[in-house]
Amino acid sequence: MHYVGFALQWLMKALAVVLAITVLNFLIVRLAPGDPAIVMAGEAGAADSQFLAQVRKDFGLDRPIYVQLATYVGKVLTLDLGRSYRTRRPVGDMLLERLPATLLLTGTAYIFALIVGALLGAIAAAKAHTFLDSVLTAVALVFYATPIFWVGLLLILVFSVQLGWLPPFGMHSLIPVKGTLWQMLDTLKHLVLPALTLGLFYVAVYVRLTRASMLDTASLEYVKTARAKGLPEWRVLTAHILRTALIPIITFAGMQAGNLVGGAIVVETVFAWPGIGRLAFDALFQRDYNILLGVFLISALMVVFFNMLTDLAVRVADPRVGSRT
Amino acid sequence: MKTSLSRSGSCLAVALALVGLVLFEAGHAAAQPTRGGTLNSTLWPEPPGIVIGIHLNAPTLLPSSKIFEGLLTYDFDLKPQPMLAETWQVSSDGLTYTFHLRHNVNWHDGKPFTSKDVVFSLTKFIPEVHPRSRPTFQRADVSAPDDYTVVLKLKEPYGPMIRSLDVISAPIVPAHIYEGTNYRDNPANRHPIGTGPFKFDEWKSGQYIHLVRNNDYWQKGKPYLDDIYYRFIPDSASRALALEQGEVQLATQNDIELVDVARLKKLPNLRVDTKGWEWGSPISWLEMNLRRAPFKDVRFRKAVMYALDRNFIRDSIFFGMAKVATGPIHSSSPFYTSDVPTYPYDPQKAKALLDEMGLKPDANGIRVKVSLLGLPYGELWDRLSQYIKQALGQVGIEVTLEPSDVAGWGNRIANWDVDMSTTYLTTLSDPALGVARTYISENQKKGVLFTNTSGYSNPEVDRLFAEAAKEPDQAKRKELYTKVQKILVDDVALAWLVELQWPTIYDARLKNVIHNGLGPNDNFADVYFEK
Amino acid sequence: MRRILRRVMQNRGAVAGGVVLAVILVCAVAAPLIAPGDPMATRGRPLLPPGGQFPFGTDMLGRDVLAGIVHGARISLLIGVMSTFAAVLIGVTVGAIAGFFGGWVDEVLVRFTEFFQTIPSFVFAILLVAIMRPGLASIIIAIAVVTWPPIARLARSEFMSIRHREFVEAAVLSGVSQGRIIVTEVLPNAASPLIVVSSLMVATAILTESALSFLGLGDPNHISWGYMVGAARTVFRQAWWLSVFPGLAIALTVLAINLVGEGLNDALNPHLKGRIGA
Repeated sequence: MHYVGFALQWLMKALAVVLAITVLNFLIVRLAPGDPAIVMAGEAGAADSQFLAQVRKDFGLDRPIYVQLATYVGKVLTLDLGRSYRTRRPVGDMLLERLPATLLLTGTAYIFALIVGALLGAIAAAKAHTFLDSVLTAVALVFYATPIFWVGLLLILVFSVQLGWLPPFGMHSLIPVKGTLWQMLDTLKHLVLPALTLGLFYVAVYVRLTRASMLDTASLEYVKTARAKGLPEWRVLTAHILRTALIPIITFAGMQAGNLVGGAIVVETVFAWPGIGRLAFDALFQRDYNILLGVFLISALMVVFFNMLTDLAVRVADPRVGSRT
Repeated sequence: MKTSLSRSGSCLAVALALVGLVLFEAGHAAAQPTRGGTLNSTLWPEPPGIVIGIHLNAPTLLPSSKIFEGLLTYDFDLKPQPMLAETWQVSSDGLTYTFHLRHNVNWHDGKPFTSKDVVFSLTKFIPEVHPRSRPTFQRADVSAPDDYTVVLKLKEPYGPMIRSLDVISAPIVPAHIYEGTNYRDNPANRHPIGTGPFKFDEWKSGQYIHLVRNNDYWQKGKPYLDDIYYRFIPDSASRALALEQGEVQLATQNDIELVDVARLKKLPNLRVDTKGWEWGSPISWLEMNLRRAPFKDVRFRKAVMYALDRNFIRDSIFFGMAKVATGPIHSSSPFYTSDVPTYPYDPQKAKALLDEMGLKPDANGIRVKVSLLGLPYGELWDRLSQYIKQALGQVGIEVTLEPSDVAGWGNRIANWDVDMSTTYLTTLSDPALGVARTYISENQKKGVLFTNTSGYSNPEVDRLFAEAAKEPDQAKRKELYTKVQKILVDDVALAWLVELQWPTIYDARLKNVIHNGLGPNDNFADVYFEK
Repeated sequence: MRRILRRVMQNRGAVAGGVVLAVILVCAVAAPLIAPGDPMATRGRPLLPPGGQFPFGTDMLGRDVLAGIVHGARISLLIGVMSTFAAVLIGVTVGAIAGFFGGWVDEVLVRFTEFFQTIPSFVFAILLVAIMRPGLASIIIAIAVVTWPPIARLARSEFMSIRHREFVEAAVLSGVSQGRIIVTEVLPNAASPLIVVSSLMVATAILTESALSFLGLGDPNHISWGYMVGAARTVFRQAWWLSVFPGLAIALTVLAINLVGEGLNDALNPHLKGRIGA
């Protein structure tokens, strides 16, 4: 009973938040100068006022802003994200086409980063102030400081141009590969460099975060007490340190999960990865408002969802935590 | 005795004839194009659509010009050649154009092509969707006396009419698919039906567009290629790599960075061709807002011309793949004249003119401050903006570069909210179609791009352009356009920079890639892989 | 103060970072001396490899890469510092008000902060640059708008925890105005983690600016490291030096700032060692 109420309350709140975000995004996006009609005119190398008027009328851009807003919100509530101005295809279709590519990239990178980073961070914490720790921390710092696009370019230079081991761009080979298994392997081959580029940065983040968090927890009173009681080290580690240390990691991971959708624009650009980040980027410059708003909406939904998940996970990890900020 | 000789004689004759026949066939076969093969071409960015008219940007034109056709096409000298129209006559007063259409042409869905489709395209479809050709065909009364004849009646003569009938200006679309529908939303737009040598097969978003041979094409035996893939590769370095490694066999226009082209030219398996833009005739220029000072003063504009080294622009920014522009009309046009004032690179002269104007340099050497809204179409144009800033800086004109994206750029220029801007425009196959719109006073339309956005206004120029459009006699037209070019160049209506000669890079085994004035936008019926 | 400085100096990493940062600062300030003239002017033939007259080579327009690096330092540091300053201003104000006053004020401001965190931050930054007339100011504002939420959250939690400490309650009871309390009592105690986070944020701001410039959204009137790498993409196979040197500059600067920031963290909050994570 209690949980149903809680879930419903949460749902209402989430919907309200998402709606407010949609309205605000709608207005902000319109602030950019120009509109899709002008972009199309620019590309066509020709325009007359009839063309511009027609295009604007077709897109409903000639109606007052509050009418446009109401229409859009109404559509969104019925799960209709509208049509792309440019291709006239439903936004939902276009997003669904590109979303898997991004999720594959960011999902792989984040899971890789979380596991490897947390592991290395734990090792660094366990061996704190030794040579190994210094090396790990230094390497993490280097990858944290290096701009992602540069890492990507360097990886391409080394592994594609010089060594020729991996393809330099795209998600599929140009010459189509036959057979599902071969296709999967082909995609995997293309996934390595971009996922590594994105992942290396986040590995660094998780290494530092895990190390700091574990060291921090290890010096807490109740841990010292547990040690003093004579509990074996591994029990101290798992039963006491890990649970509390996990909290900031979970929190951060939750924050990043919300970033799954838009967080890879730079990598998608460097590697010509056909993802949704790049779709949003292009949509912005083509003033294809509906696509841009669609991406923002998905992102908002994911952030809200993962925030809730994170809150739950934190409560599970440490029931003593009330409503920490 | 006699009989056996004559029999062996006739045997010999037959043998010789047979040998001759075989040799003849072999020799003939060597000259025949080989059938078969898949062409992979780059295409970037992914086009918004694949029906000409509804969309007119470059990546739309490339694939859709293989699916659709026009009444005519144009060779390197821009002389009309038959396409869907087999023959035609123009009346001596220039008011009536009669086209005799080809028989036995079918649409890709099997329905027959008739004059009904032409009438529909010219009177309904094009005026509704095609911003550039709308004014052209609104001048004409189109009728079809029978299934294979179309007649255009004009109220007054219009020189450019005969050059406005290619697939890009006047695509012929099927009436039975589009009539009575909302053209832009018609589902056939994603699966177009045309009369061209290639049929639409598949469009995988983010990956490619696939066209296949039209086995029922009206040119028997053609096209030679089995199919064409237009592959979307977002990164120019990757496109160059794909070309080098043979994964794609064709790239054109902006696909490959010009600096790479110089390198690709040296490879034995690739060819580079800069012809094929005669129909488009693209010219780039620096546009100044004549409504603002100091651009109002012609001396300032002349100073700008003298301060820019167009040879450097051609060599270092366009890497030689351009031709210095001397004026508003493209050098490949029959109406072009080089007998106009010239502005060789001469910074001293520029400084002298600015001194004359009273713009003396201050303590930092700066005479005047202006801003430049550069064309945001990529690396190449960024460098051009940077060069202009530098070059004008040398003569004391401080230029602030204003970055923008296409929408912002288009919006500001259309609304005259700009000091200087760079752009390029296809001036098309006839000055009345593509050139006049930039300079005539009545085409100053705020909010509309590619009109007279600079604000240049000269009644003499207006008069000359108007007369030349109506004039049926080609020689007289040439005279009028010569006068116009002289005035415009003397007035520096715009600071013309270079004529663009986009390279088309293709596999050396491909033949007939660029073989008329439409260049890579030709229908590719004649393209084949040499074995 | 001296005690803090001594503690920082004990951290070898911080010292190394400090030295590198000092070098970069000197380069930035002395740029007109090291590479006189306009860094965006053509100096030699295009695409010359490093060596001789041009230790870092030349780019596509024949510009000196070394000049670009040295002058680019100014832009990167300027944008990094200014945008962080703006972000801190906004963040601390919002967080302080939320944390100190609590109640519905807190609730509203928390929602407000959350809104900014739902939009993918980089896309939002791009959107903002597109909306405003692009230039140095708009990049600074865009980065600030995108990066203030974490500062607000930190400030809020700090203010919330400090607010209930005895010395603050004493001040409230004795009738001191709330403004005075915030400035004289709460702020100095909340300062340490904020300082650390701000210094790290400068590094992040530099990374963001370089990413924006890389994508072509920077200010073309001033040369910046990110712009140099972005402009070099079309020839990065042939002219590796155009991508490597500016990227190295970014990495070194961000690394140095991080080392110094961590040193500050260890010195200022020995008991909070490691609490301020990524």
